[in-house]
Amino acid sequence: MQKKSFQLCLLIASISLSLTACVPSEKQDPKLSINKNPYPSTYKALPQQSTLFTNATVLTGTGERINNADVLFVDGKVKEVGTHLAMEGVFVIDATGKWITPGIIDVHSHLGVYPSPKVESHSDGNEMTSPNTSEVWAEHSVWPQDPGFQTARAGGITTLQILPGSANLFGGRGVTLRNVPSQTMQGMKFIDAPYGLKMACGENPKRVYGSRKLLPSTRMGNVAGYRSAWLAATEYKRAWNKYDSDYAAGKNPKAPSRDLELDTLMGVLDGEIRIHNHCYKAEEMAVMIDVGKEFNYNSGTFHHGIEAYKIADLLAENGNCVAMWPDWWGFKMEAFDMVEENVAIVDAVKNSCAIVHSDSETTIQRLNQEAGKVLYRANDNGFELKEEDAIKWITLNAAKSLGLSDKIGSLEIGKNGDLVLWNSNPFSVYAQAEQVFVDGAKVYDRFDENYQAKSDFLLGQE
Amino acid sequence: MKNIKIIQIILVSIMLVCSLVINVVNAERIAITNATIHTLTSDGVLTQATIVIDNGKIVAINPKEIKADNTIDAQGQILTPGFIASMNSLGLIEVGAVARTRDSSDKKADITFDASLAFNPKSSLIAYTRKGGITSSVVAPKGGEGLFAGQTFVVNLSGEFDSIIIKQNAVLIYLGAKVKGSRALSLQSLDNKLADAQIKLDKARKSKKKSKKDNKDEKEPERDELVINALLSGDKTLLAYADRATDILALLALKKKYGLDLVLVGASDAVLVSTQIVAQNVPVIVSSIDNLPNSFDSLHGSLANIAILVKAGVKVLLTSNGESHNLNQLRYDAGVAVANGLSKTDAMAMLTANVADVFKLNSGRIAVGKDADIVLWNADPFELSSRVVTMWINGKEVSTQSRQDKLRERYTTKSNMPRAYIK
Repeated sequence: MQKKSFQLCLLIASISLSLTACVPSEKQDPKLSINKNPYPSTYKALPQQSTLFTNATVLTGTGERINNADVLFVDGKVKEVGTHLAMEGVFVIDATGKWITPGIIDVHSHLGVYPSPKVESHSDGNEMTSPNTSEVWAEHSVWPQDPGFQTARAGGITTLQILPGSANLFGGRGVTLRNVPSQTMQGMKFIDAPYGLKMACGENPKRVYGSRKLLPSTRMGNVAGYRSAWLAATEYKRAWNKYDSDYAAGKNPKAPSRDLELDTLMGVLDGEIRIHNHCYKAEEMAVMIDVGKEFNYNSGTFHHGIEAYKIADLLAENGNCVAMWPDWWGFKMEAFDMVEENVAIVDAVKNSCAIVHSDSETTIQRLNQEAGKVLYRANDNGFELKEEDAIKWITLNAAKSLGLSDKIGSLEIGKNGDLVLWNSNPFSVYAQAEQVFVDGAKVYDRFDENYQAKSDFLLGQE
Repeated sequence: MKNIKIIQIILVSIMLVCSLVINVVNAERIAITNATIHTLTSDGVLTQATIVIDNGKIVAINPKEIKADNTIDAQGQILTPGFIASMNSLGLIEVGAVARTRDSSDKKADITFDASLAFNPKSSLIAYTRKGGITSSVVAPKGGEGLFAGQTFVVNLSGEFDSIIIKQNAVLIYLGAKVKGSRALSLQSLDNKLADAQIKLDKARKSKKKSKKDNKDEKEPERDELVINALLSGDKTLLAYADRATDILALLALKKKYGLDLVLVGASDAVLVSTQIVAQNVPVIVSSIDNLPNSFDSLHGSLANIAILVKAGVKVLLTSNGESHNLNQLRYDAGVAVANGLSKTDAMAMLTANVADVFKLNSGRIAVGKDADIVLWNADPFELSSRVVTMWINGKEVSTQSRQDKLRERYTTKSNMPRAYIK
């Protein structure tokens, strides 16, 4: 009882300056706290309809394949997956001969921040003015009219993470979007998705800043840069924790000065913001795992991990996801040791989290094929992977990386009604997404222009 | 001293014998039986067919009697001409961001720029590219600061030192949107250069007629003038990168005016002016996956564009989008075109016969007398799931193993020792 009234006092104290504090006697200023969601999502699902898809080959995203299966969406959620489902009053889509997968997720996209057309005015993805720009948020650069969102949707992309570029050690926050048309970024923003922080290893930061005679100009400079930043963030976090605990103890402490850069880094230390680390090479990923241990944060997902196959065990042991291309290589020295089975080798280890990503406005349109290439090349060379395994690389594992596996990434009961209806095996070069659903609402139909959105930019162009 | 001489003689004779042996291997007469052959000729697709290759050439198709040193049963699998890539930097760039491995451009490169001198057949890209069933490529330099980017050359992907097939076969020019200045000036300069050369040629012809004896004052044409003259005579092809319809039309007008052998590259807006392109019989080299509006020059991209162009009667060659490291994707790009309305036969021609026709190569079809650049596939060559079973370049079997396979083997082999010991 006493405890309760104390809390009530605190609450009142934080609301009103005029009231004096209860216990102890020191007068308290209003409690300061950081608004963690100042640009909230305004996303609303498109018109939903309860729908029953019947008689399809279903890849659930959980590693399961069900033949001649039905999928039932009710109120925007997965109600049931199985055979011989029925429900009164639902819209029925005969999916005989077709395949169904969860909505495709790309964890690495620059749509909206490096949009088409590639004009300087819209090149907003890389704040190349300081090696640490943790204070910038990719969502503030997103141009929702990028025609690439529409073409990605036609390829089955329902959720995508937009990341800042990789010029900086800390590139800034990424944002996870629903791939629905909207005039605003907030209208696409995935409700309650954790933020990501883009970090970058290797050649890019040291080239960009080294050429300006600034730290970093070497890989050791890169690591010094991360460590200095995490030290500062640790201090910042300690200051805020002290403020919070002193305040809770009834004292009237002075709140630390807000620092946007450190807000983001502290979010990582608090486990609220997830690391998305552009990092190609085995030895660098191993160092980044240790940097995470040194400063007590999770080293998150490695993106572009071209050499992940060299340390697949280490990555799985530490719970890192790795987002990879099937075969891009050779554009930089750190991308020289590509193997086409990279994803499969990483995937083969227990507790792994292998992802196929695009980082491209072109291949995001065919992420299914990107995964397919891995599937078949691996099987050419001794693996025994199936479609139900490969689909995870672009659905459930991607959802894990984004911290959204409780909502999306698989066709499990209660999850969001995101799916793609394919005209054939999605790992065929001839596969086409015929219909795409987000939260139980149809957002794309290959055969119905009413469900083919067009960017303002392309409207009326002759 | 004498001993050394003797050893040298012995060594030389060993080498001679060896080279003879190699020649014998090269000259092996091979028959491939029971194949599904995509001929790319009027014969179409032949089933349960036999092809005989000898001395680097295709010497027989479905002969009455099979005479060969080695007969391979294709077990019904698909045999196609080797695919021909184009407009890439194969053998000129090893690592994109490593300046000293880049030989595709030079500030001072001009119309005479012959990048074939820098071609490296031992590049790690070559073997990897073979995995895509690609047996030869038209390599294009990136040029320099001038109007012309230099000249293309053609190589096979044998990886041998003698793999350059044709040097300096076409002149490259990049037109269209510019960061600085106006596209108009590039078109104007091209027109002027051609006009000036034409005037000079006409004058020379007249003065030759007037006084055959005394033409000492006449200067020999400069090297760059010779190249322009070759464009005017149609001996050299003009490969022009242009996307916007107005640029394409301007080039078509120049073709008419000077009788150029014109090939369009990029040609994003080609769908808007396909009638004009067909009327002048101009081939286009395009990508099948470039459907986004990269610039204001390319607002009409669509995955269906290739099918539309082919239907309109345009001769289409398929190119990969820019880079050279993932050239082996070309076959999948052809598949994407098929998924979006192109016939499989037309798609196959974009990678074979059409390229051979435009660049005057003796490959790209399976017919008697053609180069034996052929590929045996385990299934549909455009599918993600298929792979090359065997391939021959100039009648010689070549491997599809690459550095990537070595790395995979190293890291998937069980061993108690560090991986570095696995080779």
